[in-house]
Amino acid sequence: MAETPKAAERIALFERMLLVRRFEEEVLRVAQAHAYVGRQHLHIGHEATGAAVASVLGPEDLFHTTHRNHGYLIARGADPGRALAEIMGRKDGLNSGRGGPWHLCDRAAGFQSTSAMVGGSVGLAVGAGFGLKKQGKTAIGVAHFGDGTLDEGICFESFNLASILQLPVLFLCENNAKEGQRPSSMLAARALRDLPAALQIETVVVDGRDADAVRDAAADAVAFIRAGKGPVFLQAQLERWPGSHQTRPEFPTGVTDLTLAWDRDRISGTHADWIRDHDGILLYAAKLVAEKAVSRDDILAVDGRVTSRIQAARAFAEDSPFPDAASAADGVFA
Amino acid sequence: MTVKTYAEAVVDALSGMFRADPNFHAIGRGILGHGGHERHAHALMKEFGHRFTDPPTAEGATASMGIGAAMSGCRMFVHFGTASFSLEAWNQLINEAGVAHSMSGGQIRVPVVFHMYHGLRGGGSGQHSTSPQGMMANNAGLIVMQPTSPRDVKGMLRAALKCDNPVVWIDHSALLGRTGEVPDEDYEIPLGSAEVKRAGTDVTIVATSRAVLWALDAAEILAKDGISAEVVDPRTLVPLDENTILTSIRKTGRLVTVDEAIQTCSFGSEIAALAAEKAHDALKAPVARLARAATPVPFSPPLEKAIAPSPESIAIAARRLMN
Repeated sequence: MAETPKAAERIALFERMLLVRRFEEEVLRVAQAHAYVGRQHLHIGHEATGAAVASVLGPEDLFHTTHRNHGYLIARGADPGRALAEIMGRKDGLNSGRGGPWHLCDRAAGFQSTSAMVGGSVGLAVGAGFGLKKQGKTAIGVAHFGDGTLDEGICFESFNLASILQLPVLFLCENNAKEGQRPSSMLAARALRDLPAALQIETVVVDGRDADAVRDAAADAVAFIRAGKGPVFLQAQLERWPGSHQTRPEFPTGVTDLTLAWDRDRISGTHADWIRDHDGILLYAAKLVAEKAVSRDDILAVDGRVTSRIQAARAFAEDSPFPDAASAADGVFA
Repeated sequence: MTVKTYAEAVVDALSGMFRADPNFHAIGRGILGHGGHERHAHALMKEFGHRFTDPPTAEGATASMGIGAAMSGCRMFVHFGTASFSLEAWNQLINEAGVAHSMSGGQIRVPVVFHMYHGLRGGGSGQHSTSPQGMMANNAGLIVMQPTSPRDVKGMLRAALKCDNPVVWIDHSALLGRTGEVPDEDYEIPLGSAEVKRAGTDVTIVATSRAVLWALDAAEILAKDGISAEVVDPRTLVPLDENTILTSIRKTGRLVTVDEAIQTCSFGSEIAALAAEKAHDALKAPVARLARAATPVPFSPPLEKAIAPSPESIAIAARRLMN
């Protein structure tokens, strides 16, 4: 197991998580203000998983994410202003306005193509692992995807290929299926991990709400992969955020109020259960304060820094012009 | 110059690339088919076999692996075998390889050559005879090439392997044994340059891949009738060298297109449309299009033969334009 992290590392991880949360909340505000902005797939409720995994990766590790990608881009250091500009279709967006919210890409932050084809990230990350191994690098390929992705045949093909060739690939599955409602995956298998396990891939299941647990599990998985022992399937258990699949931009759980981390009696409303038991941000803030790793004021100071960064990002994105329409068909080929 | 087969020229280009670039890798085996020409690959496999990955039967993941590896800094060659199998990786070709560069705002490059054998091959029936060149060309972001001579394939494959874009090489096994002079030194033929394979003055025949061989035979037949046919080989379908094609049409005033694919929305139809749009004033006769009959390819030999254009049918079509 990884060593107990220092308080400074945990507060840095918390800041990374909160930056994603405040970014996604800003995306909702942008979507409310600009009808043209495309369909949103926010990472709210997944930050404890996404930021924790991002915190154990190196800059050369190549990440393939999905249409639910914003959190990973921000957590790995992509500029929030350029990311928001891309979501708004602006010239200064990460992809110069050609990708939009489903395809944010920042090569400098270790991202290759961001595929919104369900299962696309899984096959491409196997390629990243193959390419990095052939180039003699110790970096790894990472595929991020949701549980529903395992319905796609490309997952079987890709798991098999990664296992046969013992490729350095982390398969990161965010399992946010709800019990009692239509699950987002429809598998005859008893458990998601049964599929990679049948193909001799190491599998690990972790509580995706617990940033410390995810960080430790991800660090172990990455060390295993870097040691040349083959791919790992890391499954983070999450409870779907009530706004996860929305057609109109709304805040079903409100704007995140960090004081609820220690003032839990004030948690109320239709989705109080989710806020109390499944919001990894509040859970981690509460844990850090309870363990006296940080003070409440430290938490609020982090929020102040993060919120100013996001406000600056919004201003940057709003100031960026739309691309010149005359360039619409440019740049098809390298 | 050395006289070589097309298959040997392919090996020349691949060997040169393996030698020059340690980050060049291939996925797939049987790159020269199974009709006898594979013997030319023995030396290649002996020297560079470790640079080939033999994948499971999984075209989608195989294509994805090539694409992801190319994005990560390798140059990749992915062999599908029969072009029909590439349809198992249609999603990866079209939705991943073709769009990644543009969609990322130019950050990502996908230097992969996808190789496949298309067309009628004798007994291929309905699931091993697909000619997807029109389908592939009807996308943005994929270069589509169909070299036809030993000299062309060496120079164009070298250019494709050094290209930073995904290149779909829709090959034909009937070309593998074709012989011709091949320069010994390394050279590249730019993608997007057509070539006049036979000069003529009365009628232009624009043909691709194996249809170039039929067109050259047709030109011989026509010559005996005193009709001078010019055969133009686009060599690259995307990007298309419109200038060479239009120059020929303007010279002869007559156009026959020959395509082994089904006619609807085919590459031959694209050439006909090009003539209608940009050389209409020069045309002395309607355009004639020859293509494969719109049927799943039948197995029985006489049926398979009956659905394809031939030197004779091309000559008949050209003759009709002279009247």
